[in-house]
Amino acid sequence: MDRKQCCVKLSVQPSRGLMDEKFIVLVQNVWPGFQLTVHALHQCEDGHSWEAFGHYAADATGTVNVSEDPSLGGTYSGVEPMGLLWSLRPVPGSKPGLRMRKMNVQTPMEVTISVYQGHQTEGFVDQVPLAGVLVERWYMAPGVRRIPITEGGLTATLFLPPGPGPFPGLLDLWGGGGKLVEYRASLLASHGIASLALDYLTPKITIETRKMVGIEYFETAYRVLQQHPQVFSSRIAMLGLSFGTSITLKMAAYSEVVKLRCAVCVSGSHVQPVDGSVEQILGYFHKNGGKTRFSEENEAIWRDLLLPIPTDSSLKVDVGRLQCPLLLVVGEDDQNWPAYESAMDMKEMMERAGNSHLLTILSYPNAGHLIEPPYTPHARSSFFRTVNTREKMMALWGGETVAHSRAQEDAWRKTLVFLRENLF
Amino acid sequence: MLRTHMTVTTIRQLMEMKIIPCFSLHRKLAGAVRWRSSYRQPPVLIAAPARALIDEQISIKGRFLPPHCPVTVHSQMHSEDGDLWEAFAHYNADADGTVSLTRDHSVGGSYSGCEPMGLFWGLQPAPGAREGLRLRKKNVETPYVVHVSLLEGHVSPSEEQSNELAAVTTERWYMAPGVRRIEICQDGVVGTLFLPPGTGPFPGMLDLWGMGGGLVEYRSALFASRGYASLSVAYIGHKELPGPQNKINVGDSYFKSAFHLLQDHHQVCADRIGIIGLSFGVYLTLRLATNIGVKPSCLICINGPVGSTIKLSDDDGRTENFEGDQKYWMYDDQGHVSFRAVSLPANLSPESKVKIENLTCPLMYIVGEDDLSSSSIENADLIEETLRAAGKSQLFTRLSYPGAGHLIEPPYSPNSRASLWSVKPKKLITLWGGHLAPHAAAQEDAWKKILDFMENNLRQ
Repeated sequence: MDRKQCCVKLSVQPSRGLMDEKFIVLVQNVWPGFQLTVHALHQCEDGHSWEAFGHYAADATGTVNVSEDPSLGGTYSGVEPMGLLWSLRPVPGSKPGLRMRKMNVQTPMEVTISVYQGHQTEGFVDQVPLAGVLVERWYMAPGVRRIPITEGGLTATLFLPPGPGPFPGLLDLWGGGGKLVEYRASLLASHGIASLALDYLTPKITIETRKMVGIEYFETAYRVLQQHPQVFSSRIAMLGLSFGTSITLKMAAYSEVVKLRCAVCVSGSHVQPVDGSVEQILGYFHKNGGKTRFSEENEAIWRDLLLPIPTDSSLKVDVGRLQCPLLLVVGEDDQNWPAYESAMDMKEMMERAGNSHLLTILSYPNAGHLIEPPYTPHARSSFFRTVNTREKMMALWGGETVAHSRAQEDAWRKTLVFLRENLF
Repeated sequence: MLRTHMTVTTIRQLMEMKIIPCFSLHRKLAGAVRWRSSYRQPPVLIAAPARALIDEQISIKGRFLPPHCPVTVHSQMHSEDGDLWEAFAHYNADADGTVSLTRDHSVGGSYSGCEPMGLFWGLQPAPGAREGLRLRKKNVETPYVVHVSLLEGHVSPSEEQSNELAAVTTERWYMAPGVRRIEICQDGVVGTLFLPPGTGPFPGMLDLWGMGGGLVEYRSALFASRGYASLSVAYIGHKELPGPQNKINVGDSYFKSAFHLLQDHHQVCADRIGIIGLSFGVYLTLRLATNIGVKPSCLICINGPVGSTIKLSDDDGRTENFEGDQKYWMYDDQGHVSFRAVSLPANLSPESKVKIENLTCPLMYIVGEDDLSSSSIENADLIEETLRAAGKSQLFTRLSYPGAGHLIEPPYSPNSRASLWSVKPKKLITLWGGHLAPHAAAQEDAWKKILDFMENNLRQ
């Protein structure tokens, strides 16, 4: 038996961590200066394989510490403690347009981390690694409770932190792709916030009646949270990404029922017909569909649909009316929504109205549209089907991987701080 | 009744004198009195890692408490049989309102002093529990779920109600992600094999327990989580084994087959296999290593005899039944039985005594000095003496722990000083020995040394 194979030690701490937690990957007992590749492999829920790898040289003690030592090449370079996760990409030969999203948050993301001899770039599947371990990345901390909500005609899931409560609450909204997306709400609950993930574009009631929901749907969701015995009724926030921003701003500025303690809007805009229903707002975007551009790879660029930012006040949420703190997170390379331009316009509106002290903008150069919780792969483009079009198209989201991944890490940390400061 | 124009200073003085409990005041006066911003956040309790292996330390911290606030940390879990186990400890927050169990000292409760894992090894059956309980995990594929809460003041949670300030849930796992559990029923061997994740090959461990019988998997699961292919083997009291369950009906060839099964496995390094035995498993370990012709790389023996404690029924190692000869059983004034004298070297069945002088590999012998089930000190002395006479002292390492009992198991789980041994023909509780805190310290230290010993002998 090869002596080396019995002796190489690979450890990842923690071996079971939360999705937004850092880990430490340590390789020990190799020869000093030994060249090796640390490799990550993940099979997502759709069955596609993703991989990432870094090239390292062991130090004088025969050790490689991924958190401290530089990668000399691979899918990431330099000192990148979490590079093995955020630089994951579909393995060669995969279909184009993939995007990794965990739909079942009750099971962890499993990643196999292995060590290979030498600086390898391909053919990992055919080689025998020197060592391998399995790492679990969880979307729910132990004790977080997942509660499907159907009352009031809602299609939603409530995530409650462990403990007696009461907890501050949060309404979590995703964008134009619809569906019930739980992974951000489950993480927020793991941080002590009772979070309600809400499907508002493809809920059961819309599937059955073929009618889009009205404003009352969001007010019902707010009430469900407010009336829950373990939720602090006066401390409820709303977080929206993409089209979810449109809804969040509308509720924050105009709803008589929804009284938010604070709001977080990611990669979105305040541009919408002010008195419009959900359906009418979507209709307004669709009307401007002619402004769609295409990249060289035939990816749809939709950012121009809302440009130029209108001067007509009936086409923009009046953010001067806001009475709660607002955090805007925007990627300057967002090719899907004009988030940066919208943020600048909102700032101007709030300065004129005298409530700009409520506004915080996090703007990230070279980050794209999909600014999500950290340490998952960046999708610069992917196949996308909005609820009002039937066809799947390749949408260009934008962003350069390293900058986008850093933006996700920074934005998430600051979002949690913002929520803690305003909700607790 | 409190008048709302009390100054902050007066209130703090009153709190220090414990006239006003700190939290109810906060909630009542939040509107009327201005607090420092550090009081705005409600307390939190954090456990890191929240999902840990059984032998990993979990760091528990309470934050955003009022400075110097007295609190109780309370752990609770249900065993697989549904019994409630709990522990608690009293702490005082520091000037920043933080309690850290890796840094601070408990001033009362289930343990005292600085004990980062006291809430786990200090778990005891809740008041009203059944008699003679012992905490042992049968299903190693699921974790123990332990709830930890932060309570206001210094309280005894099972006796008094208290305000719960925060809580956290922890999971303690016997199997690391990717460890594979494989039931073995091959070549007559009844056991469970645990393989680490990856292709290997891995060094191996044969894992043997005592007369309690059955198939005990949790130590093997942990070895696999640490990179060793580990095989737990049943030899008595298991329905898949031949013959009546109160005798050992398998002999040398059975244990030899188990060793070879491990050795021949394509993911095991054939020349790097160790054997670990507890209690009667020590005798089996020594017998395997000296009499049967297999060549382990190292041996770990915990609190067990150099010969059989039951009369042999043949040359192959099979025995008569366990309850046969009770003349050395001793009873205390509660009717609890100690088996200790059974394994005094003079009382062991002479033809079964292992030829220790034939040992050719390193041996680590672990003694719990308060062992009431086995004459561990005497047996350790005998082994040490025999090896010295044979000029083989360099093979021998002895660890000895004052206050530790018979059941020196993986760390951070509670010791049972006594537990139910049998229910028929009548209920019998046996004494294991060991006092909670020193036994916990022994388990923690011994486990580290066991893993280092395995590393040095199986991986260098």
